[in-house]
Amino acid sequence: MLIRQSLINMYIVRGMSLTDGIATKRGLMRMDKEHARHHDVNYLMVFVTLCCLTALSVAADVIQIDNRVIVAVIVLAISTTKALCVMLYFMHLKFERNWKYLILAPTTILALGLPLALLPDVGVHYYSVDVPQNDVTLSSDEHNSNGSAPTKSSYNSH
Amino acid sequence: MAHATSSQGFAPLKMGLAIPNSKLCMWLFLGTEIMFFTAFIGTYIVLRLGSRGWPTDPDITHIRVWAGAVNTFVLILSSYFVVVAHEAMGEQNFVKTNKYLWLVFALACLFLSIKGYEYYGKISHDILPGRIPENNREVMTKVVNEMQAVVIAQLAPLVSADQKSKQPTVEELAGKLPTEYTMQKRLAEEFLNLKGHVVGNVSLAIPLGRRKVITTTKDGKETKGVFNEQEQTDPAKMVTLNIDGKTVDIPRTPDLSIRAAEELDPITLPEVQEDLKRLAQDQEFGNLIRSGVHGAENPDHLHPIVYGNMFASTYFIMTGFHALHVIIGMIIFGVVLSLGTNLNGWNNYVENAGLYWHFVDLVWIFLFPMLYII
Repeated sequence: MLIRQSLINMYIVRGMSLTDGIATKRGLMRMDKEHARHHDVNYLMVFVTLCCLTALSVAADVIQIDNRVIVAVIVLAISTTKALCVMLYFMHLKFERNWKYLILAPTTILALGLPLALLPDVGVHYYSVDVPQNDVTLSSDEHNSNGSAPTKSSYNSH
Repeated sequence: MAHATSSQGFAPLKMGLAIPNSKLCMWLFLGTEIMFFTAFIGTYIVLRLGSRGWPTDPDITHIRVWAGAVNTFVLILSSYFVVVAHEAMGEQNFVKTNKYLWLVFALACLFLSIKGYEYYGKISHDILPGRIPENNREVMTKVVNEMQAVVIAQLAPLVSADQKSKQPTVEELAGKLPTEYTMQKRLAEEFLNLKGHVVGNVSLAIPLGRRKVITTTKDGKETKGVFNEQEQTDPAKMVTLNIDGKTVDIPRTPDLSIRAAEELDPITLPEVQEDLKRLAQDQEFGNLIRSGVHGAENPDHLHPIVYGNMFASTYFIMTGFHALHVIIGMIIFGVVLSLGTNLNGWNNYVENAGLYWHFVDLVWIFLFPMLYII
C-alpha cells in the first residue's frame, strides 16, 4: 500500500506519464488548482495583443511591399503568433497537462498528409508545363478562325 | 481491496485522463477538425503554389481587406467574451455569463452579416466556381448563353405548348411567334445575329450567312462562289452559289465537300462589348438585357479572369465551411442561452462550447491572411 501511495504521489508530481491515465482525488484537487491559475491570465491583454497583430497584418498589405513572398512570410508568421496566443491562453493549452500532445500530435501529422501528397504533382511541377489550360482553349479558338463553328461540347461547356 | 483503499483515504483508481469526458471528446473532435480544415487550407496552398497565375486585384476578385479585418476583430472579440463568460461561470455569476454569451451570439450574427455582404458582392458579379470566363472567347460565349436564357424566357410563354418542343430553341420559338409580338421578334433576331457571329467566330462587321466557299465534287471539279443562307432554293438537295451575279445549283451529294474560300475576320471582345452596350440601351428590351446578362450594365468591364474558377472554388469552400461552423457555434450557444441564467451544472458545456468557438476563431486567423492579404 505504501508503494502504491508513493507511486501515485510520484505520478501527480511528475504531471503526465501514467498519471493522465489515473484520476485520483488528489489529482482532481491539482486540476482545481490549475483551473484557479487560469484566472491569473490577463485575457484583456491577450485580446489587445491579438488586435495589434491583426492591425500589423493589415499594415503589411497597405504598405505595398513588392515582394509578395516577404508579405506571405510576414503575415503567416503573425497568424501563427496569433494562433499560439489563442491556443495557449484562450484554449488554456498552456495550463493543460501533457495529454494535449497525445491528442494533437497525431492529428497534426495526419493533417499534413493530403497537402504533402499533392505537393509533388500539383504544387511543385517536376515536369515542364508547356500547354497550360488557357492556351489549349485559345489555340482551339484560333483553329476556328476560318468561320467554322466550334464543336458543340466546347460551346456548351461554359 | 476497494474498501481497504478507501479506508486509507484514497479514491478507487479510475482509468482515463484527468479531465472530464466531455472535454476529452471535444478535444478529440477538434483533432478531426484540424485535419478537416488543414485539408482545405493545405490544398489551397498547394494549388496556389502550382498555379501559373492567380487573380489578386480586389476590383476583380471583390475581396475586401477591410471586411476581412473587421471580421477578424469580431471573432477575436467574441473569443475574448467567451473566455470572460467561462470565467464568470467559475465564479457562479450566471447573469454575467448570460450577458457575455449574448454578446458572443450577436458578434457571430455580425460576422455572418459581413460575410453575407462579401458573398453578395461576388454572387452579383457572378464570381462563382465554374461560371467565370477565363479567356475572351469564354466571355463572349457566356454573354450569348445568358442572353439566350433571357430570350427564351420572353418567347416561350408566347408560343402555345403544342407548337413547341420540351426544350425549345430561340430559332424554333422565333419561327412560331405570332406576328404581333414585334419586340420579341426583334429581340430574337438580335440574339440570333450575335450568336451566329460568336459561334461561327466571325466579326460582327461581316454579314452572317454570306461567305465565299469552294465546293469540290467526287471527280475533283471545284466551283467557287458566294454562299448565302437566304438564297438557298432547296437546302436538302442543292447547294446554291452566286457566281458573278448568276445563281448556280450544285447537287448536294454525300461526297460533296464545301470549304471556306477566304479567311474571315474573327469576332473580338470589344465588338461584343459594343453590341451588348447597344442592346442594353434599347428602349424596348434594354432592361431585360441589363437584368439577365451579367455585365450588361457596363459592358466595358466584361473581361476574362484567368484562374478565376480555381480562386472562387477555394474561396467558397474554405469560407463556406467556416461560416457553417459559425452557424453551428451559434446553435451551441443558443442552447445555453435558452436556459437564461439557470446555468448551474453547465460549466463543462460552456467550457467546451468555448473551446469550439476558439477553434473557429483559430481557423479564421489563418484564412484571413491567406485569402485577403497574400
